[in-house]
Amino acid sequence: MTTSRAAAIILAKELRAEFRTRELLNTTIVFALMVVVLFSFSFDPTSAESRRYGPGLLWIAFLFAGSLMLHPSFAREQANDTLNALRMAPVDPFAILLGKTLANFCFLLFAELLLLPIFSVLYNVSFVGVLGRLLLVLVLGTLGIVITGTVFSAVAAQARMRELLLPLLLLPVLTPLLIAAVEATIGLLGDPPELTRSWLAVLIGFDVVFLTASWLLCDHLLEE
Amino acid sequence: MKNFESLFAAYMFVWAIFLVYEFTVARRVARLQAELDRLKEMVRHN
Amino acid sequence: MAASSRGNLGAALAVFALLGFACCAALFIAPDEATMHAIQRIFYFHVPSAWTAFVAFLITFIANIAYLVTRKPKWDWLGVSSAEVGLAFCTVVLVTGPIWAKPVWGIWWTWDARLTSTFVLWLLYVSYLLLRTLLADPERRPVFSAIFGIFAYLDVPLVYFSIRLWRTQHPQPVILGGSGSGINAVMLRVLLLCWAALTALMILLLRERYRLERMRHETDELRFEIEGRAADREMAGKGRG
Repeated sequence: MTTSRAAAIILAKELRAEFRTRELLNTTIVFALMVVVLFSFSFDPTSAESRRYGPGLLWIAFLFAGSLMLHPSFAREQANDTLNALRMAPVDPFAILLGKTLANFCFLLFAELLLLPIFSVLYNVSFVGVLGRLLLVLVLGTLGIVITGTVFSAVAAQARMRELLLPLLLLPVLTPLLIAAVEATIGLLGDPPELTRSWLAVLIGFDVVFLTASWLLCDHLLEE
Repeated sequence: MKNFESLFAAYMFVWAIFLVYEFTVARRVARLQAELDRLKEMVRHN
Repeated sequence: MAASSRGNLGAALAVFALLGFACCAALFIAPDEATMHAIQRIFYFHVPSAWTAFVAFLITFIANIAYLVTRKPKWDWLGVSSAEVGLAFCTVVLVTGPIWAKPVWGIWWTWDARLTSTFVLWLLYVSYLLLRTLLADPERRPVFSAIFGIFAYLDVPLVYFSIRLWRTQHPQPVILGGSGSGINAVMLRVLLLCWAALTALMILLLRERYRLERMRHETDELRFEIEGRAADREMAGKGRG
């Protein structure tokens, strides 16, 4: 079985499992929404400042939501010991990792796309006109979060205090991604809206570096 | 000398951090060495 | 045993003497700087500490890769030792930075690009060490901490680049006096002397810490063997009875 086909099967399995209960999606979306609303209490959300602070708060909300959502990725498998079954199947370990990463990508992106119009309304920020470029930033940023997050959830699954450990591992590593995503979004909300090439380069560079590292290290990550 | 206190504080911190680290490691090494010798004696007597 | 510990003590004294000499050079031999005067002398330890921290973390990176490839425990011992030592040097950078910034700029933290990046670096390796304490299984610990260690080090250039880009868009006081300021020959020599002293210190600390890790491994193995023998004897005794 080729890697991509195996990954697609695992992706389908993860999506099916989640849509049966939708518990992960529901809790994550509600949590991200609460973060966005709570942030608004710390400054006047209707002023021009919201244009400057908004993108930062938005991405922090995405980051928190992602950290919560990623943890069960491997922890769920541990509960039923299904991970061993996966490992014993004649499947490339990278396929397992890729399938899970893509599943997490779909979940997180879905949550973000739901949150975007709500944020737009609450903070009086319009994304019309930059939607295409914004989607690009969202996709690249989310990819970075899930690529590193899925690997770290596999690492954290081996340890104690894993709910706290995953954000602890993930957030420092995601610093360049957060800065780039926020600055790119601020640029898109500017007048005139522009997508700075250097921030785009950081996002793409981040994704490429860590996807390659995941590929090189997946055997060790998923070993017995 | 202007800002002498800050300069002094900085240099003191540098020394403190390194000396504290060196001493904590050295102390743990000594304690572990004693433990290791004790265990080796036990093995020899068995 | 006594000879080696005397040798270690000698090495430690020599390194600290060199460090002391470097201190004196920084405080008395180096010329006075034009704008900041005395406080600028923090530079002679602030900057080389950062360089030394980088070297230590590079050693951890190489050790992590070597462990995953060879699975020999000594690489794991080197990895954790170098990370801890690197963190000590990183802490020095983060403590001396604000002490320097306060008299010069009036605030403790200026979000200077280099200092902020070093803060993230510090957080990365604190996470690495915390991860190790939370990974209980001694078989799994080296593998998974090595994986995280590799990711952390690959992140470092991205961190420095993105933060520098970020700060150029929001200009703020630079602690190290910008790229324009040159450095005169005597200052450079004192700087290199301090760097040499700190590198010697790094090697000393690394050796001690590595020794500690190796000894921990030996004690665990011995304890395991003793318990094994005691269990065997118990089984044999039960068999006869």
